[in-house]
Amino acid sequence: MTTKRITRDALLTAIALTIFMVEAQLPALAPVPGMKLGLANIVTVWALFTLGPLDALMILLGRILLGAVFAGQLMALIYSLAGGLLCFLVTLLLRRVLTARQIFIAGIFGAMAHNTGQLIAATLVLKSLAVWYYCPLLLLSGIVTGAFTGLAAQYLHARLAKSGSS
Amino acid sequence: MKTKHFLAVIALIALACLGALIVLRLRSAGVIANIYQDGTCIRSVDLSKVAAPETFTVTDKNGHENVVSVEPGRICVARANCPDQVCVHEGWVSGGTRPIVCLPAKLVIRLEDKSAAPGADAPDAVVG
Ligand SMILES: [Zn+2]
Repeated sequence: MTTKRITRDALLTAIALTIFMVEAQLPALAPVPGMKLGLANIVTVWALFTLGPLDALMILLGRILLGAVFAGQLMALIYSLAGGLLCFLVTLLLRRVLTARQIFIAGIFGAMAHNTGQLIAATLVLKSLAVWYYCPLLLLSGIVTGAFTGLAAQYLHARLAKSGSS
Repeated sequence: MKTKHFLAVIALIALACLGALIVLRLRSAGVIANIYQDGTCIRSVDLSKVAAPETFTVTDKNGHENVVSVEPGRICVARANCPDQVCVHEGWVSGGTRPIVCLPAKLVIRLEDKSAAPGADAPDAVVG
C-alpha cells in the first residue's frame, strides 16, 4: 500500500464518517426502526466502482467502527455491520454487470440489502420476528433512498473521471 | 443487462412491497397484548378487559426503562430512556398487526390471539 493510497482512503473514511455523524443527528424519518437516508453509502458505492473492493471495504469498515465509537453505542455496531456488509456484498456482485451509467441501480439494491441485513440483525437481537412487519416499508424506502445515493455516487464517478482525478 | 430490465425487477419488488403493506395494514390481530423482553413474554394484557387506564414500567438489567400505558382496547410506550425514542414515537397500537419495538431494550409488544405469558391459559390471570 502506497502512502498516497493510505492518505486517500483515510480522507474518504473521514468524509464518510462526517456524513454518517451528521445524518445521525437528524431526527428519525419515520417511527420505523432502522429507516434512514444512508447518505454515507455514497462514498462506499463510489469507492467500490472507482477504487475497487479492497479500498471500499476498508473505508466502509473504518466508517462503521469509528461511527460506533463516536456515537457511543456499541449495540448499534451490530446493525451497522450487518447492513453495511450485506450492502457491500450486493453492490460488489452488481459491479460485475453494471456500467458506469448504471451505478444508481447498485445504490438501489445495496440499500435494500442494507435494510434486509439490519432486519436480520434485529431478529437475532430481539429473538423475535416482529420487526419483519417493517420489511415492505424498509424495502420501499431503500428503493427511494438508494436511488438518491446511487445517483449521487454515479454523478461523482462521472465528474471525477472527467476531471481525471481519483 | 439493460437498465430497463433492472428497473422492471425493482418495479416488481416495489409492487410486491405495496401489496404486502396493504395486507399488513388491513389484517387485524388479536386483543391480547404480549410484551416480550429478550424473546420471552414477561407480561400479557387482554386489552378488551382493561377497565381503566393503567401504566406500568418494564425494566431490564441493563438499565433500560419503558413505561407502558394501557387503555381500553389500546397500548403504547408512553416514556422510555432509549436514545432513539422509536418505541415512543410509534404511539398507540390497537387491533392491527403493527408491533411496538424498542431495539435498545430488546422489547417487543405484539397484539396476538392468546396470551404468551408462561403458564397463563387465561389472560385474566396476568392482567394488572
Ligand atoms: Zn425505545
